[in-house]
Amino acid sequence: MARPAAARKGILNNHVGYGFISPAALAMIILIIYPMLYGFYISFFNTNLVNKWKFVGFKYYLQAFSEPDFYQSILRTFIFMLFVVAGHFFLGFLLSSLLNKKFFGRSFFRVIFTLPWLFPESVIALLFTWIMNPMYGVLNAILKSVGIISSNIGWLGDGKRAFPAVIFVCIWKGYPLVMTMLLSGMQSISADLYEAAELDGASKWQQFLHVTIPGLRPVINTTLILDSVWWFKQYTLVYTMTGGGPGKATDLISLSIYGTAFNDFRFGKAAAWGIIVFIICYLISKIYRGVLKDE
Amino acid sequence: MSKSRKAALLSILRYVILIGLGSMVVMPILWMVSTAFKGEAQTYSPKPVWIPDPISLDSFKKFFGIYNFGRMTINSFVTCVGAMIICVAFSCLASYGVTRFRFKGRKTFMNFLLMTQMFPSVMLVVPFYAVLTKLHLTNSLFGLTIVYAATNIAFSTWMMTSYFDTIPIDLDEAARIDGATHFQAFWKVILPLTIPGIAAVAIYVLLNGWNEYMYSSVLINKDAYKTLTVGIVALNSQNQVHWNDMMAASSFSCLPLIILFLFGQKYFIAGMTGGAVKS
Repeated sequence: MARPAAARKGILNNHVGYGFISPAALAMIILIIYPMLYGFYISFFNTNLVNKWKFVGFKYYLQAFSEPDFYQSILRTFIFMLFVVAGHFFLGFLLSSLLNKKFFGRSFFRVIFTLPWLFPESVIALLFTWIMNPMYGVLNAILKSVGIISSNIGWLGDGKRAFPAVIFVCIWKGYPLVMTMLLSGMQSISADLYEAAELDGASKWQQFLHVTIPGLRPVINTTLILDSVWWFKQYTLVYTMTGGGPGKATDLISLSIYGTAFNDFRFGKAAAWGIIVFIICYLISKIYRGVLKDE
Repeated sequence: MSKSRKAALLSILRYVILIGLGSMVVMPILWMVSTAFKGEAQTYSPKPVWIPDPISLDSFKKFFGIYNFGRMTINSFVTCVGAMIICVAFSCLASYGVTRFRFKGRKTFMNFLLMTQMFPSVMLVVPFYAVLTKLHLTNSLFGLTIVYAATNIAFSTWMMTSYFDTIPIDLDEAARIDGATHFQAFWKVILPLTIPGIAAVAIYVLLNGWNEYMYSSVLINKDAYKTLTVGIVALNSQNQVHWNDMMAASSFSCLPLIILFLFGQKYFIAGMTGGAVKS
């Protein structure tokens, strides 16, 4: 919103602003920056945080790239993120386009499709563990009754099926955020633009490509960055469903880091991996921004 | 094909897709609720039972009885309300500062807020654990409240800033001319206008706090301070998993958020999407 220059003049270069941001800024410095720097510090030590503090320098950073546990886990997390985010945007676009029109039952469907957002990740993980239970799971029962499978399948206990199963659940949990963002974006596009396009003889699909998508660009940018980064860091859902297994089939990087810290008590190594993940997340956002801006 | 027939077909297609996808959302939830009301026998019946017969309330009785989830519900409630108060207060102040004043470091501050979203929470777990252990704040609801507040302040401020942006700065000017201090202008004139934004931030923090699992599971190991999500997940690691009890606890834990959302839906969605839609 453009403000009149005269009104703006009185507030320029005013240091009172520092007073207002100081509580939040201080809280962030003490509670985010300091722990982060502390994490950076312990990443140079071989430590259990109690009685072992051995300085190792950059060892864990250098080691990470030759350690299969690490780079395979990173690769797995990238594939996981790609599928999950693609799923979110596919469903998000489909549902927001459908819900953007006026029709009978629209508010009802909006609430229904928002529900997964409100459920705790841990609860969703347990619910789907129960649904996919090899002995008593309702999924097997349904699939058997329509003849798709003939005997019970252990969805989460099988190295090949666990990964797609986990992706499915993560799409189920996360699409409402993308849908809601896109829907709000669509509602902020002026109806005049569509009327003008219609007068010019544009088909619905052309309108979508040339009016909706450009109008949504800022929303898509922000949502894509946040969604990718958030799901790259995913922990709770996957940990609760599979604990990273079977074997290492669903061992995402957050789970590896957690295990390194709290099962192996190698806090220095875990902290170093955490820093690398931060750098990766930062690069993801930078790359997206670069690519999306150029278009 | 005539235009009206095409419209009718499109409309049918819309309902088919919505009902198809909608049932993918609703069926798991119904299964959770249905399991919650089952006795042991029907929970493990080979043929799925959708409507329990008889309807059993045993699992819900156990919720407050042997599982002691009442205590954990209170713990969850206290921590997320505490975090909410801190986040609302700090983010309102910061947003006012950022939208009303131009000062050095303002842009850096805003960029920093977004950058904190890149920090893997799992990476903060180790330092949080180390720092809170040193301060004797593990196994403490106060410690957990601080962690929840810290992890939510950035996005709260980001949401709040987009709301403050919509309030004309002329109002501050008028208050200032009438002799109000900066803080009075903020407190008496502007803040009351941002109630919808505050509602959005409040719901956002409550949602995240109530649903949080990882920090809570690491920072708390005494039963008296455990939160609900951790308590429910712990049922999964017992020797014999009672799925009906677990689903009862799960259903119960979802209720407050659904109610909260139904009441604050409009504000919450406007607040969540405000920053992205306008920028």
